Order: sequence, then C-alpha cells, then structure tokens
Amino acid sequence: MFKKILLATTGSPASFGAARVAFDMAKRYGSEVTIFHVVGVPTKAFSHVVNDVRTGEEVEVDEEYLAWVEEELKTTFAKQFEGADNAKIVLTTGVPAREILREARKADSDLVVMAASSGENASFHKGYPGSTLQKVAKAARCPVLSVHRESASYWGGFSNILFGTDFSKQAESAFKFALSTARELDCDLTIFHALDISGKVLDQNEIEENLIIARKRIRETYVPLMGDFKNYDIEVWEGTPYVEIVKLAREKSVDLVCLAHHTNELDPERARIGSTVEQVILRANCPVVSVSKPDKV
Amino acid sequence: MSKKILIIDDDQDIRSYLGDLFSDNGYETVMAEDGAVAMEVAENEKPDLITLDLEMPGEWGPRFYRKLSQSEELKRTPVIVISGLQANKYAIPKAIATLTKPFDAEELIRIVKDTIG
Repeated sequence: MFKKILLATTGSPASFGAARVAFDMAKRYGSEVTIFHVVGVPTKAFSHVVNDVRTGEEVEVDEEYLAWVEEELKTTFAKQFEGADNAKIVLTTGVPAREILREARKADSDLVVMAASSGENASFHKGYPGSTLQKVAKAARCPVLSVHRESASYWGGFSNILFGTDFSKQAESAFKFALSTARELDCDLTIFHALDISGKVLDQNEIEENLIIARKRIRETYVPLMGDFKNYDIEVWEGTPYVEIVKLAREKSVDLVCLAHHTNELDPERARIGSTVEQVILRANCPVVSVSKPDKV
Repeated sequence: MSKKILIIDDDQDIRSYLGDLFSDNGYETVMAEDGAVAMEVAENEKPDLITLDLEMPGEWGPRFYRKLSQSEELKRTPVIVISGLQANKYAIPKAIATLTKPFDAEELIRIVKDTIG
C-alpha cells in the first residue's frame, strides 16, 4: 500500500518533518522513497535559466549545478539517508505543483508526502497551507500526506488512526484509505464525526438528537464495510469540526489523521481543499492525509 | 526507601550519564533502550518517575507514552521528556517537563526533586 512514496521537498527546514515521516515509512514499511525537488521555475519556455525556488535568483541549470543541488540535499538529509536502502533523489525544473503531479503519475506513487508550506512564509501563510500543497492535494491520484508542525513527525510509524467524516461522498474514499491502512499496519481506527454547531445556538435536546442520528449513520455507513476488522471506535460530539478533530487526535495520541480533501464541490477538478482539512493539517500533532480521489485507496 | 527512576534512551552514553546523575542524588535507576522494552520494564519495576527520549530506533517516545497513559497502574507516573529533537515540548504535552539535549543537570535534578522528592 505504501510501496512508492514521493517526498516532495524544497530542502528547507519547513520540510524536515515531512522528510522524517517519509524516510521512517521507507525504513519501517520497506517503501521506496523518491526525494523529489524542483530546482527552479524556467524564466522562458524550455529555458535552462531558472529562478531558484529557494532564493529566487536566476541560475543556469547544467550538470554541475544539478550535482551541487543533489549534494546539498544529501547533506541536508544525511541522517535520514542512513539505513534507507530504497531512497533516490530526482531533480527537475518547472512549476513545482505541476512537476510533483507529473512525477507522481509517472512513478505511479502510492503516496505523496510534503510539508504544508515551504516555510518562507509571511505571517499570513501561517493560517493557510501553501499553494503547492493545495494544487497537489486537489489533483493527485493518490492520497497526500502532509506534516506541518515539527512535533507531528515524532511518532515513528502508524498504529492509531483517526478518520474524520462529514458523510460526504468524498469521505468514502478517505474511509477506504483509513481502513486499508489500519488493516495492513494493524492499527486502531477511530471514526469521528463532529456535529458542527459553530455560530449556532441550538436547543440541547436537538444537539443530542443529532448526535444519536450521526452515530447511527456511522454504524450504517461504515461498519458494514469493515468485515472482520474490529479495532475501531465510534466517537460523535458537537463543536467546531477542525478544533474537535485536533483535540481528539491529541487526547487519543493519534498518529495519523485521515480526511476527505473537500466536501461541498462534487467535481474534483473544481474543488478547493476544504477549510477543515486545511486547519487540521496546520494544527494536528501528527501527519494528516488528505484523500481526494478513489484511485489509490 | 529511595525513589526509582526509569531512564528510556537508545543512547548508551545518555543512559549511563543519567544513571550516574540520579544515583549520585540518591535515586534508584532502571534502564530501557527502546519504547517497546520500556513498557515491560515499567510494568515490572513500577518507577516513580520516567525520563523519556523521543526518537528511538524501534518504538518512539510518544507511542510509549500512549501505552503508558492507557495503563491503569502506570498512567499517573510523571514523565520528563529529554530529547535532541526540536519543538519537542509539543510532542508529549502532558509531560511534566521537556528538556532539550544538551540539558542542564541541575535543572533536571531540581525538576525531579520537585516532583517526587
């Protein structure tokens, strides 16, 4: 299930958490990990002069420059490369999101791992994932695992998964991914629905009525799909969804959160990453997987 | 009777150093080099306090802490995180303290004394 991992990285400290998780998965689960780095954006079509993604400076891309970048990456991730038999570096030029998607398609990757942003962020970036993650998460055929906070990468493998659902069609794919991961890696799985009461003042009986309905719906929707898998819990309560998901993950020491990429827009080509997923990615104390399409679940 | 501290770290040098430090200050020590082994040691030894590294070859610190917090007998054992990783105070928010290597020995002993006497 995680045979081929594509680690998309700028090599900046913001991506160290993502790298730690990707390399750990490679060592733990025998995955093959490709460290994929887009050197720069061409200044003209087919140009060998690019704007370096890290510095913004114009540089000429030749064998010597590529060798230097590769050496830099090897130095940056030296500790991670130790004992990683199945790791290789791939460099290219182009627009990062497009090249990551191209490589994931070409290599038939099972999982893209990347940071939420490249870290050169002005304060407004802190509340939103970067545009590259947004574009990749939307269009990738495989799930996209993101690590934003450094401490989110300190788990070492997966054994306790939280799947958050709003009962949308897209959540079915996310559930399938969560379940197959839980099965394969012998994890506990928590199925959670947060009844969204943000900005509303509801009668308590009405809230608790809705909680009972949501529980029943989880049992009807997901339990029949689990077959002989028994390591699951169902949790339902009210609140602001992203806050409750982050809190539950923290309290249960969850090491992987799995969510559908979007919920309102049925056309995946038009759908933006959902605000709940965005906020969970930025705040969770563990990696977060966004599942957009049913292909690789 | 002296209080017992469980030291969990994959680095032999750190284990020896902490072992000597705690012994010199009148504590009994037991050791584990990995989170998986540590649970067994904790169940057998019932330590009064645990020092925990985060990154270890087999089972990482946060996962050991999850197991510890699920054990009726051990869930109230105070834990001090001692790790070389950055931003680690968020990794185990319920730890009583988080120290980054290299740490100040006096500060560590003060925290231990304040916690278990």
